[in-house]
Amino acid sequence: MAASWFRQPSILPGFGLTLGFTTFFLSALVLLPLAALVFKTTSLTWSEFLDVVLDERALASYRLSFGAAFIAAAVNAFFGFIVAWSLVRYEFPGRRLVDALIDLPFALPTAVSGIALATVFSPTGWLGVKLQELFGIQVAYTWLGVVVALILIGLPFVVRSVQPALVEAQRDLEEAAETLGASPFTVFRRIILPAVLPALVTGFTMAFARGVGEYGSVVFISGNLPLKTEITPLLIVIKLEQFDYNGAAALGFMMLLVSFLMLFAINLVQSWSRRRHAGPADTGRRVERRARPRTQKVGT
Amino acid sequence: MSIVLDQVTKRYQGAPVVNDVSLNVAQGEFLVLLGPSGSGKSTLLRSIAGLTEIDHGRVALHGRDVTHVNSRERQVGFVFQHYALFRHMTIGENIEFALRVRKVKSAERRARRKELLKLVALEGMDDRLPAQLSGGQQQRVAVARALAHRPAVLLMDEPFGALDAKIREELRRTIRQIQRELDMTTILVTHDQEEAFALADRIGVMHQGRLLECGKPDDLYTRPATRFVSTFLGAANLLLGYRTPRGVRFSSRPMAGGEVPREVVAILRPEEVELCADELAVKSNFVSHGQVEEVLFGGAVERLRVRMASDGPVPVAPGREGSAGQGSLLEVSRTLPEQRDFPVAVGQRVAVGARSIHVLPTPISSFTAVAADEAAARELRDSPLLMTLGTRMQTRVATRIGRFERAPPGMPAIATGPGCASAAEWHLTHGAVQLLCVPSTASLPNHVVIHTLDAESRRATLAVAASLLRHVAAEAIYLGIQPATSAESERGAHMRDLLDARSAALADHGLDMRTELRPGAVAEELQKELAAYERSMLVLGTSNPDAIQWDWLKSLLEGTPGRPVLIVNSARAEPAADA
Repeated sequence: MAASWFRQPSILPGFGLTLGFTTFFLSALVLLPLAALVFKTTSLTWSEFLDVVLDERALASYRLSFGAAFIAAAVNAFFGFIVAWSLVRYEFPGRRLVDALIDLPFALPTAVSGIALATVFSPTGWLGVKLQELFGIQVAYTWLGVVVALILIGLPFVVRSVQPALVEAQRDLEEAAETLGASPFTVFRRIILPAVLPALVTGFTMAFARGVGEYGSVVFISGNLPLKTEITPLLIVIKLEQFDYNGAAALGFMMLLVSFLMLFAINLVQSWSRRRHAGPADTGRRVERRARPRTQKVGT
Repeated sequence: MSIVLDQVTKRYQGAPVVNDVSLNVAQGEFLVLLGPSGSGKSTLLRSIAGLTEIDHGRVALHGRDVTHVNSRERQVGFVFQHYALFRHMTIGENIEFALRVRKVKSAERRARRKELLKLVALEGMDDRLPAQLSGGQQQRVAVARALAHRPAVLLMDEPFGALDAKIREELRRTIRQIQRELDMTTILVTHDQEEAFALADRIGVMHQGRLLECGKPDDLYTRPATRFVSTFLGAANLLLGYRTPRGVRFSSRPMAGGEVPREVVAILRPEEVELCADELAVKSNFVSHGQVEEVLFGGAVERLRVRMASDGPVPVAPGREGSAGQGSLLEVSRTLPEQRDFPVAVGQRVAVGARSIHVLPTPISSFTAVAADEAAARELRDSPLLMTLGTRMQTRVATRIGRFERAPPGMPAIATGPGCASAAEWHLTHGAVQLLCVPSTASLPNHVVIHTLDAESRRATLAVAASLLRHVAAEAIYLGIQPATSAESERGAHMRDLLDARSAALADHGLDMRTELRPGAVAEELQKELAAYERSMLVLGTSNPDAIQWDWLKSLLEGTPGRPVLIVNSARAEPAADA
């Protein structure tokens, strides 16, 4: 009985075993290396640390890494929603193929996507030439190239988290709103969007987190010009190549800190919205429990 | 009229799920659409709300044609089975939703919200979220929300389906009260007959996309017109009887001499059965002797099954018949006083009386497959068309081998192919009222062509066609054919005749069909119309079988591929009357 305040009764045994594994893997693979990173950073003095992380080149790389990841995640949130919508709501030839293609950026080695993008968008690549001619836009070797690479990498995160939410969103809610006189836009804004928003935020978060850490696909298309198109992970690699392990750890620590704060903030928003959106399953269970008499009368 | 539906048809992948439904609902009326799942009742309701587009027909609300108006402009209130409350909005916001999208001022909105919450007895719940309410409360919120914009009609799709029995009953009472208070025209869809009886001013029974019957609950229960309604609303014993001058006679024994007795389908409700110790004690009409086979205590009523004597009444439904030499089973229910007066035990011999029976006006009573030898008769009986018709119409398909002096009672069925025409001629001139010619491979038709060879046979033919179409999801066309040379004025008169026939069929039998007048020769036009559809069927009416020109009909009956042909002989068709 002592454990019952946090342990829900379950049909399957093995609570101790599974929780043990969970703590072990989390510690060995996530917490321990991160702790080592923090520890390594502490071998720098305070002023040395500030010199490294507030260096002009480092600041420029933060701006690019976080900025491009944010823009890419925002673009993905918008277009990923549209992709997920068309996949869930419409039947069209090739739908299953498109559905399978979405996962491709997951499966591809990131370097391959990077080379592919660089080939297409480079000033001599066939899309790069056209963009330059028609709009005077250069994608490769600018911050725009970084954004393009991160969009490619982040798209599946948004699509795959929004898709199930859209499948689950009840059609009769939309129909109810329609019979009550709501226009299609109102139905979207007041009914569909609130239902899908938590999933969309999750997708955005994952795409953003992935974008911040992305290395392979970016380095080929960015051109890696210091102060202009140099991302933080690249700066860390450069530091490592110069055997400046402490400097690399300091930059890593900064990335860890910012990423953690952002994820934490987004999680807070999520849990707040989830509380407002208690699912129908929850209500059902609650009602049932209240309605059921505690003891069964004999003979009825 | 508050709601007018005119020939509403909705097809899904070619098959009609709502088939030619016409219906009027008066202001303030509570109509319950009742039917088994898949009968098209929800689709019909959704098409009234504009949530489902219809393929054919017209929908009018309060005199305004809304067939092509989308649902947000139809001014309807719709209540869904699973409440469909907006979970991220409070109860108050949910109720105000319809007013908010109409940009109603907030003071007015608040007043209306308060009024509605009071109506559904949920005062003070404004700021709760739907998740914090019980199922019954949520559905009451859904009702309040549907009423907020003062809709012209209220439509409810199985609103109590997800609730437990006690809450259901309570909510039922609330809804009935609100409906009366607001004088709100309401249609509710359900598969629960108890619910229908408790709520409805009028019940419409749907089956296979068709609105079979529509009427006051007690009328539908005591005087149903169809087999389906009589068994779907309450329990019923469906028996084959013979109309005699002294009333309906139930017996499988053949009657001596005279005319072919007219076969009818009678329903005997379990509660109308009287059980007595012997024939003399029976106060009502004696039916047969029997033996009690099963007694179930059920609280207020006792349910019994009584095995009838082997020469006793013949059940309409196949499968109810006992094995050779055994009689049929009769369902009986008795009240406590009846049980006290005459307690019975399993195995006891009893005399069975009928306090009241109701003869269905259906013109098709049973089928008899007629063939030269037993194998052929059995093959005919088991042919896809006859088999499904028998099952769908819940009626008996008997077999008969060789020829007797007279055609069998009910509807004889013969196989198409060589010799069919002469067999058909023999049956029609030897007392058959109807005759079905069945190709061995034909399945249920989806296109039924109706034609009468003379005006006298029209009524009887349409009655038989209507009875058939109630059980077959097919589209019907009533074809008038005139020589291409006839004068313009004559054609006008003919067309008027057709349209009269159509409205008569609609009024008398609820049969909705297309009518068309074609110039040309009868044989050719019918052949052409039948050949245009893969699964077509002909219903042909005549008042004088001796006058049929068999040469053209022969090519239809004996040619390939064969089409099912139902011939109605109105010379012997009786005037429809209830017993």
